[in-house]
Amino acid sequence: MADITKGVAVDATAPASRRVPRSLVEVVAPVAVIAVIILVLPLFIPSFVSSLVTKMMIYGLFGMSLNIIWGYAGIPSFGHAAFFGVGGYATGILILKVGISSFWINFLLAVAVAAVIAAILGVPAFRVFGVGAGNTNPIYFLLATIAFGELLSRMAIALRPLTGGSTGLAGIPEPDLGLGFRITSGRLYYLTFIVVAVCLYLMYRVVNSHFGYALRGIHDNEKRMQALGYNTWLYKYTSWIIAGVFGAVAGIMFAYFGSVMAPNSLAMSTSDISFLLVIMGSSTTFLGPLVASVVYVGIEYLASVYLPDRWPIIFGALFVFTIMVTPQGLGVEILKGWRRLVRGAS
Amino acid sequence: MSQFLVTGLNGLSYAFILFLLAAGFSLTFGVMGVLNLAHGALFMFGAYVGLQAVDSFGSFWVGIVLAFVALAVIGLGLYYFFLRHLYNKVPEQAVLTIGIAIIVANVVLWIWGPRAKIMQTPPGLTGVIHVGTLAFPIYRVFIIVVGLVILGILWWMQDRTRTGAIIRAGMDNKEMTVALGVNYGLVSTLIFLLGMALAGLAGVMGAPILGAYPSMGDNLLLLALIVVVVGGTGYIQGTMLGALVIGLFDTFGKAYVPQVALFFSYIVFLIVLLVRPSGLIGRRVF
Repeated sequence: MADITKGVAVDATAPASRRVPRSLVEVVAPVAVIAVIILVLPLFIPSFVSSLVTKMMIYGLFGMSLNIIWGYAGIPSFGHAAFFGVGGYATGILILKVGISSFWINFLLAVAVAAVIAAILGVPAFRVFGVGAGNTNPIYFLLATIAFGELLSRMAIALRPLTGGSTGLAGIPEPDLGLGFRITSGRLYYLTFIVVAVCLYLMYRVVNSHFGYALRGIHDNEKRMQALGYNTWLYKYTSWIIAGVFGAVAGIMFAYFGSVMAPNSLAMSTSDISFLLVIMGSSTTFLGPLVASVVYVGIEYLASVYLPDRWPIIFGALFVFTIMVTPQGLGVEILKGWRRLVRGAS
Repeated sequence: MSQFLVTGLNGLSYAFILFLLAAGFSLTFGVMGVLNLAHGALFMFGAYVGLQAVDSFGSFWVGIVLAFVALAVIGLGLYYFFLRHLYNKVPEQAVLTIGIAIIVANVVLWIWGPRAKIMQTPPGLTGVIHVGTLAFPIYRVFIIVVGLVILGILWWMQDRTRTGAIIRAGMDNKEMTVALGVNYGLVSTLIFLLGMALAGLAGVMGAPILGAYPSMGDNLLLLALIVVVVGGTGYIQGTMLGALVIGLFDTFGKAYVPQVALFFSYIVFLIVLLVRPSGLIGRRVF
């Protein structure tokens, strides 16, 4: 956290009337509040709610990883589940088929696999990025990324000995940390919290580094960034791999959380969740997708209790509602309220 | 040799089903730049409307007309209430239409149940044509003929009519076209309507071969977008070429190398993206 406060010191060029630095208001305070709430929450809530919160954290990480490329670099990928699924499948295969039980080794290997897959898929993806309507509307890129996820899910179905075919991998055990105690579902909650918190910190550092500002520049005006001497292809490609890696981390945690991986988790139906989170949470705020994931998982839970058969209609209606009613996303609205709270009515 | 010919004909008829599926998608996407990812789901809806009409009225032709009209009405609503407001915002269009696709799939599941249905080949189109020692099913030949007729109409519309000229002009520069006093809004609404209606027609036409089940929308959408991207957007002949390439590759792949056939069309798709990202006959959209 020391580095975040250092960033605040740099930001303190604001007029004296606005004492509270931006990043403190926008990032540090909400993160601290959320962290404290999440840490003490399991003491007060029944275990099924804490498993919902675990899911919220995993989906939040998933949405935020997509937001690195969507919100910051302006690359709307529709196949982000490819990385989510690859992370999860790699974990499952390493445990069930290869026989590596250590959480740490699995984690590193699964992340490495996802990075390699992202590096491979990134080449054709960014070859088509500017084709079509240019960078403001990368239509072909959208279509290509949709196809990547589907291609991988078909491969997961076809490679039956490795992936279990269309039924997928079942019975992924609880993570073995090598610390001498079992990770029960209550402890998985804390493990997920730590992993997600570390990832959030790393992502925060990435998007607020020189690299992150270059991505914002590419989003706003790629030609200008090229004229300034930036190799924009390399920046976009790297951000794609970074987003893929964090998406894979979400997938790894999801594999442990759900203990099953199905081909569906690579396909469009899972990608749908990731970009719903980005659009609903708003792609212009760092924590937006996390907020959206709280709302999404909450609604999903309520629907599964009261209207399990009609959940897809509600899910679809969330898309329509988000686009037509709150196109800026919940994150922006909440941020406005938060700033008003901190600075008084202004 | 005879197996090769039969596979070839199957591939051709599959290619024409793909063409019918992708033609509407290509019209709205390639010509107007509206990315309608609900196309596959609405194609499926058309198939179910056709099946219901065959059940209720006992006529395949009534089914075709009903699906055509129903999808045109849905297309009008979709365009007028939603997509019209999202001009030039492709990611937003994509997210919105995916939501609509999910809703449509669930509504179909709700109304018609989860079981796959297959339409009987309509009377008058059953049986086979004998050419020498080979036997071709009449229905597959019928699909090829209808596909060719629709290809002809769309091609003529694109190159020879005022509507086509307006569309091509709007594709190059919408502001200039509007400034010249063309009612581009009306033309684009009609084109969207036509694209949707074609999806309905294609849904009923394909029902005796593809069947109908509530989860087919995603697969069909992917096929449509692969066809459109491989062929290249903006020209109807590009869509035809893409449909032929994918249809023949897929059918021959399934016949001769079934192990990899599951993702044969994806491999073609990736190769085309790498080698010629704008498609085989492509031009830039907008």
